Amino acid sequence: MKKKGLIILVAVIAVIVVIALSLAGIYNGMVEKQQSVEEAQSTISAQLQRRADLIPNFLSSVKGYTDYEQSTYTAVTEARSAVSKASTVEETQAAEDRLNGAISVWVNAVTEAYPDLKANDQFIAFEDELAGTENRIMQARKDYNAVAKEYNVSIKKFPRNIFASLFGFEKADYFESTDAAESVPQVSFE
Amino acid sequence: MTKRIISLLLAAVLTASFMCACSIDAEEGYPKPTERFFVNDFADIIEEADENEIYSRCASLNDSTTAQVVVVTVEDLNGEEPSDYALNLGREWGVGQKDKDNGIVILLSRDDREVYIAVGGGLEGAMPDSKTGRILDRYGMEYFKADEFSAGLLSVCKAVVNEVYIEYGIEPEESYTPIDSIADSGDEEFSYAGKVAVSWVILIIVVVAYILLFSRRRRGFFWFGGPGSGGFGGGSGGFGGFSGGGGGFSGGGGSFGGGGAGRGF
Repeated sequence: MKKKGLIILVAVIAVIVVIALSLAGIYNGMVEKQQSVEEAQSTISAQLQRRADLIPNFLSSVKGYTDYEQSTYTAVTEARSAVSKASTVEETQAAEDRLNGAISVWVNAVTEAYPDLKANDQFIAFEDELAGTENRIMQARKDYNAVAKEYNVSIKKFPRNIFASLFGFEKADYFESTDAAESVPQVSFE
Repeated sequence: MTKRIISLLLAAVLTASFMCACSIDAEEGYPKPTERFFVNDFADIIEEADENEIYSRCASLNDSTTAQVVVVTVEDLNGEEPSDYALNLGREWGVGQKDKDNGIVILLSRDDREVYIAVGGGLEGAMPDSKTGRILDRYGMEYFKADEFSAGLLSVCKAVVNEVYIEYGIEPEESYTPIDSIADSGDEEFSYAGKVAVSWVILIIVVVAYILLFSRRRRGFFWFGGPGSGGFGGGSGGFGGFSGGGGGFSGGGGSFGGGGAGRGF
C-alpha cells in the first residue's frame, strides 16, 4: 500500500517536472526570439544614427561652396529633430522617411547649384556612404521584419499564445515598405 | 496493438509536419557557386589567365586571413538591384567566416552594365563604402567602360585583396599603393609637404638618438619604422606559391548587412 502511494507520488512529481521543463523551454524560446527582434531593432537605429552623422560630413565637404541651399537644408534639420522626438515604430519610420526625402532633396539642390561638386572626391565619397547607409537601413528593416515575423508567429501559435499573454509578450510591429521616401513633395528652390 | 498503431500514426504526422515546415523557405534565383568558389564566371567574360590569377590570389588571401573575396559575373540581375543581388548571393553562399562576416562579393552584370562590391560587416572598417567606391573609380571604371571586363575585374580584385591584407596587418603586394595614401586632389601638396616635414623631423630624431645610444653602447632598433611613406624595401608578403587546382573552398557562413558601393558603366 505504502509502496503504491510512493510510486504515484514519484509519477506525479515526474509529470510536474516534465511540464515545468517544457514550459521553461517554451518561455525561453520566446525570450530568445524577442531578444533577436530587439537586436534587429537596435541595428536599425545604429544605421539611422550613422546616416544622421553623415550630414555634418557632407557639410564639411561642401564648405568651399559658401551658400549651400539654406532653404532645403532647414528641411533637413527639421526632419532630423523630428526623428529624435519620435517614439513608436510608426512614428520613427515616418520621421525617417521624411528625413530621407529631405536629405535627397537637399543634396539634389546643392549639386544642381554647384555641378562641379560631382567631380569632387569628397562629395563622391559622401554619396557612396549615403547610398551604402540607405542600403543598410533597408536591409536592417528587412532583417527586422523577418525576425519579427518569426517571433509573432511563435507567440500566436497554440499553446504558446496562452503563455505569451500570461507573461506579457506583445506582438512586434513591422516596418511597412513605403514609397513615402520617393514621393516626398519636391521643394522648389528657384 | 492499437496503441502501437496510434503512436506510429502520430510519429508519421509529426514527421510530415516537420518536413512541410522545412520545405517552405527554399531560396530561388541565385546560381550555385562553382567549384572554384572565388571566381565564378557565369557570364563567361573572364579570360582564363585572369581567372587563374584571381583564384590564386583569393585562395591565398583565404589561407592567410580567412577573409573571402569572391568574384562573380552574371549575364543579368533578373531585374534586381545590384546591391540586393550581391548581398543576397553573398549571404546564400556564406561568403566569409561565420561570426567574422569577413566576406566580399565583387559582382558584375554584363547586360545591366553594373558592377557592385558588397562588403561583409567584418570588413567595413577596411573597406568603408566611400573607399569601395574609390577602388571602383580608380581601378575598374576605365576598363569596364571599354568592355574590358576581364582586366577590370582582375585589377579591382587585386586592389580589394591588398586592402584586406592591409586590414589584417599583412604587407600588401609591393607595387600596390594603398588607396588611403592616394591623397585627394586639392590638399595633395599640403599633405605631401607635411609628410616630408614629418619625415625630416623623425630622421633627425633617429640620428640624434642613434648617436646618443651608440655612445652608450645600447641598442636602439626601436626607432626604426616611423610613419614615413613607405619606400623602404622590406620583404613583401608575396603572392604566388599557391598552386591552383581543384576546388576545396566553400563559404564559411559569413553574412552581409548592406555595406558596399557600386557603379554603372
